[in-house]
Amino acid sequence: MINWVGLWTLTSRETGRFFSVYRQTILPGLISSILYILIFGFTLEQRISEIQGVSYTWFILPGLIIMNTLTNATSNTASSILQMKLLQQLPDLLIAPLSGFEIALAYIVGGTVRGLVNGVLVLLIGIIMIDLPVIDPIKTIFYIFLVSWAFSSMGLILGQLSESWDQLATMQNFILTPLSFLGGIFYSIDMLPTWAQKLSYINPIYYMINGIRNTILGINSSNISISFIMAFVLTIVFSVSAIFLMQSGKKIKQ
Amino acid sequence: MPHPAVEIKALSKSYGTVKALNKIDITINEGDFYGILGPNGAGKTTIINIITGLVFRDNGSTFVFGKDTVTDFRFTRSKIGLAAQELSVDWFFSIEKLLFFQAGYYGIKPKEAKPTIEELLKRLGLYEKRDSRLRQLSGGMKRRFQLAKALVHNPDIIILDEPTAGVDVELRKDLWKYLRDLHKSGKTILLTTHYIEEAEFLCEKVSIIDNGVVLKEGSPKNLIKTLGKSGIIIELKSIPKKLVSVINDLNAIIDENKLIFEVKDPGTSLPKIIQKLTDERAEIKSIKPNSSSLEEVFLNLTGKKIND
Repeated sequence: MINWVGLWTLTSRETGRFFSVYRQTILPGLISSILYILIFGFTLEQRISEIQGVSYTWFILPGLIIMNTLTNATSNTASSILQMKLLQQLPDLLIAPLSGFEIALAYIVGGTVRGLVNGVLVLLIGIIMIDLPVIDPIKTIFYIFLVSWAFSSMGLILGQLSESWDQLATMQNFILTPLSFLGGIFYSIDMLPTWAQKLSYINPIYYMINGIRNTILGINSSNISISFIMAFVLTIVFSVSAIFLMQSGKKIKQ
Repeated sequence: MPHPAVEIKALSKSYGTVKALNKIDITINEGDFYGILGPNGAGKTTIINIITGLVFRDNGSTFVFGKDTVTDFRFTRSKIGLAAQELSVDWFFSIEKLLFFQAGYYGIKPKEAKPTIEELLKRLGLYEKRDSRLRQLSGGMKRRFQLAKALVHNPDIIILDEPTAGVDVELRKDLWKYLRDLHKSGKTILLTTHYIEEAEFLCEKVSIIDNGVVLKEGSPKNLIKTLGKSGIIIELKSIPKKLVSVINDLNAIIDENKLIFEVKDPGTSLPKIIQKLTDERAEIKSIKPNSSSLEEVFLNLTGKKIND
């Protein structure tokens, strides 16, 4: 039996929360993506003619979409649950007839919507500003959704395990940000020395970027099926872990 | 026979090496106004948090209307409204919106919740502030909002954890009146407090707990009767020297012009004392009962004051 009204209420709270502060949750990602296009794209494009047969600005755009998607999806769930924990709002949920599964699902959906909105907006910026061709729009949207869901789940795990903003920032700044930048947003891994290429293969974000680059531009630097499978597997692993963690009550119940 | 509203059996809980609850047994019947009285750290909040699902129990069982609070959590939680001691903060939504959310968590759709929320906001003096954020409310208003949140799904059992902690006297009286009205309307109320007068004034039955153990349970009146002292204070206009030996024979303590008698049964002892004093031509100014309060009962049981 599912508490559908409860699930819907928490989901709408989570989405309403970030829409109500769109200046903090939507605009910054858009502005930084525009700046990346202007500064990195237009300036470096004059020196780097093409990568894998496409212009440099086109090349970086799928990476920017993934970076924006996963950063927003992660921080939505992570900051929301941590904030509720620190501001004594979490008991309101935990005393209600909501299961750990329902609570986790509502948070994940909230984060997914934020990631999806941000990812799609960067995609639109790409289409408007640099005439980005989108070879397979449906697969692209689905891919953004998948990445968003996976990292929304990951954010929930990070937020639930964190006990302070400092801890959360440490995890985000020292793990997530380096992985995003080293996942090949600004370069093709073919440009790296062999040892660095091998390191990239253990970076999950590389597969996300490689996959979406394929759905948008039709190019990829390694087997595309592996990228899609990795995206699915990560989504499932992160989601199941987040749900189990919520059900366990770790760090939120004594 | 109907199940008790809340039944706690041999409940134990430790936080690391600290034993917060040690085989607690408490039964609260439907319609009771029940108080758990104890100093800070006695285990009051832990009991409440286990019943409501905020804390895991180590051993023992907790039932609400006969259903286990862990395995049947959807049923038991829907029956309980909790006004927690800690005030929450929210930066994003108006207090009215927060009440709609809270109702939603309990499966109540906005349309169904609207009349109750309006009524609660009006009754608790928050209607004019319904569009405000929590941070814009005064401490007393936040406390009332906490109560509104607990009542938004019309629960049968209302649990209040230190509901009047830090509020002024006027608001405390107002909240007491509201709680009495709720009780009259048929709600079962469980209250934890370290304000003795609150428990004495409101509760039909109290458990006195300390160090995670129930020391005594009963109605405040009975506890005072069985565990407290009763006595009489007689004030005289003056105490002439010749009266002192008589007073000593009556086992009274002299405090200026007051004679303090500790007697088991004031009803039969009082006429005899008065007779003796009038025989000695003592001029009586006033006679007052000198019964123990629940506070003294608590002191006798625990050896410390409740606010220590």
